[in-house]
Amino acid sequence: MHILIVEDETSLATELMHFLAQEHYICDWASNGREASEKIAVNRYDFILLDLGLPDYEGMDLLKEIKEIDHDPAIIILTARGALEDRIKGLGLGADDYLPKPFSLLELQARMQAVLRRKFKLKSSSVAFHGFEIDSSARRVTFGSQEIVLTKKEFDILHYLLLHKNRILTRLQLTEHIWGNILEDDYDSNYIDVHIKNLRKKISAHTTTDWLETVRGVGYRLTV
Amino acid sequence: MRLQSKLALFSAASKILILLLLVLGLPILVNKVALLNADERLMQKEERMYQIIEEQGIESFITSETGAYGSYNLFKEEFISLEEISSSKVVNSIENSLRKVDNQVVNYRVLSSTFDLGEKRYLLEIGRSLATIHNNSKTLQAYALYFLAAVVLLTVFSDLAFSKILLRPLTLIVKRLQRVEHPSTFTPKKLQTSTDDFLYLNNTINAMMGQIQEAFQKEKEFIGNVSHELLTPVSILQTRLENLLADPDTPESMLEKLVDNLRTLHRLKNIIQALLLISRIENEQYLRNETVDLTQLAEEVAEEIKERAEAREVNLHVEITGDYTLTKANQSLLFTMLFNVVNNAIKYNKPEGSICIKGQPHGKDYEIAVKDTGVGIKEEQLPHIFSRFKRLHAPDGESHGLGLTIVKTIATFHGIDLSVESVPSEGTTFRFLFPRQA
Repeated sequence: MHILIVEDETSLATELMHFLAQEHYICDWASNGREASEKIAVNRYDFILLDLGLPDYEGMDLLKEIKEIDHDPAIIILTARGALEDRIKGLGLGADDYLPKPFSLLELQARMQAVLRRKFKLKSSSVAFHGFEIDSSARRVTFGSQEIVLTKKEFDILHYLLLHKNRILTRLQLTEHIWGNILEDDYDSNYIDVHIKNLRKKISAHTTTDWLETVRGVGYRLTV
Repeated sequence: MRLQSKLALFSAASKILILLLLVLGLPILVNKVALLNADERLMQKEERMYQIIEEQGIESFITSETGAYGSYNLFKEEFISLEEISSSKVVNSIENSLRKVDNQVVNYRVLSSTFDLGEKRYLLEIGRSLATIHNNSKTLQAYALYFLAAVVLLTVFSDLAFSKILLRPLTLIVKRLQRVEHPSTFTPKKLQTSTDDFLYLNNTINAMMGQIQEAFQKEKEFIGNVSHELLTPVSILQTRLENLLADPDTPESMLEKLVDNLRTLHRLKNIIQALLLISRIENEQYLRNETVDLTQLAEEVAEEIKERAEAREVNLHVEITGDYTLTKANQSLLFTMLFNVVNNAIKYNKPEGSICIKGQPHGKDYEIAVKDTGVGIKEEQLPHIFSRFKRLHAPDGESHGLGLTIVKTIATFHGIDLSVESVPSEGTTFRFLFPRQA
């Protein structure tokens, strides 16, 4: 999977590339609009992460340029300006998703997966682990032939943990993922603990839950 | 009351006043005129009598047998009398006096005049009955009144029409302003009028609206810049910390510290985003183009939040009666508004406590009340709960105190009247009064 990161902030681009390389993506970086424009004309990318606030280029113009090339890369807009029109305009111009800065790298990966699944139908929506099968489009979890009925939040947590398997997810990262669209006064990590407790209870009716680890003082990890 | 109606009322009232004055004053005036007129005629007749006497001689009127001459017309409206008198008194007057004619006393206006002819002195009297004079004046009065009434009516209507034409530019200005929901939607237009005052008014409004629009635009740019400048470094820090957290080389002892840092960073991010949200709403950057069903909204919020209530062992129930749809609304903002209030109700509730989201028609409006059995808010704190950065409860280190400010801002943005009642240690009720919309 070939990715172009269009981002004028060197530090941010470095962190993004570091993270995505670990997730086995091949990354290319353009630090301004002119460079990005050249790169998309020459190379073939599957995915473009586009920062709208570029010093030399109107982000929307670059977006139009990308849409004009003959193959159709997936595009996620990353922006710190967060004006409402940008979002509507960006999606209207053919971007696949829009992620306001600051975002969690884990959230970015989840969104990229979702876009890929939607756009290229690359991945089957079903994933198997420890005898479970989790279907993200039907939002169903089965163990063998039995369905485990989860609440919306429990499903989202399990799915997110599985998506980032073998990685520690902090309570905050989980909270942001399931409540992130609502701006609230503060965040309360206890709710995540309650959800995990309920999740374990439901799963332990079928099998052991030692693969769903609590990392003391840090968060949770799903090991496969 | 509109200026045009006021002008019309004033014009009508002043004309009616003039009419009343005329009705009261007219009889006196007309009588006076009629009397003067009658006197004039009497004098003309006197003149003619002298002419006739001069031409025909006094003998044609008075002979030695008769000694006097008198003539009445048929209805005794007028009389002329001529007699010889012995008195040496000279009389020359016009007076009202009672005369007896055929056993009937009639009030006459009488011109009396003495003249000498030969050796003798004669008295000429010419009279006209006052009743006749007044009769004439009554007719005159009646006609004058009709005429005046017609004139008044005509001028009232012409005033109305004129003031309407005159005030048309003002009406236009008012109409244009009524159409403006927010200064940013105002478009300056020229006014076609020859009245300088209205031109001045229109130009001033245009100029001032222009200034307001400019201020809004500047604020919008400022918000955009602040947003970019503050959130970019936060973004860099967050990704860096997340990468460190995932790095297998990071010693385990460091992980907890990293999590703490991420929490602090999250707090900073939350404050910036809350302030930006408030500014954007106040800057009218959000659209109100959705129709929101309040029953559905309350149920969605309850659905989203019910697991939190369960986790806190708080009983949450929704009671919605009646249908209410809010037009020109922003669904996600309204969701945030209600979610924050219900979330607070959970956070500051007691174990085994309860929360009721109750919706019901309230007169012509609709009310949603969120009632909890929580710790309550002290009375002296109530006026400040919507102010920025006011933390009501013991600082828990995470809350930024902007939650209720956001709630208030969103309510104001939608024209929702928000009020709160609270009894410490018994509970708090937030009431949203949604205006009825056409």
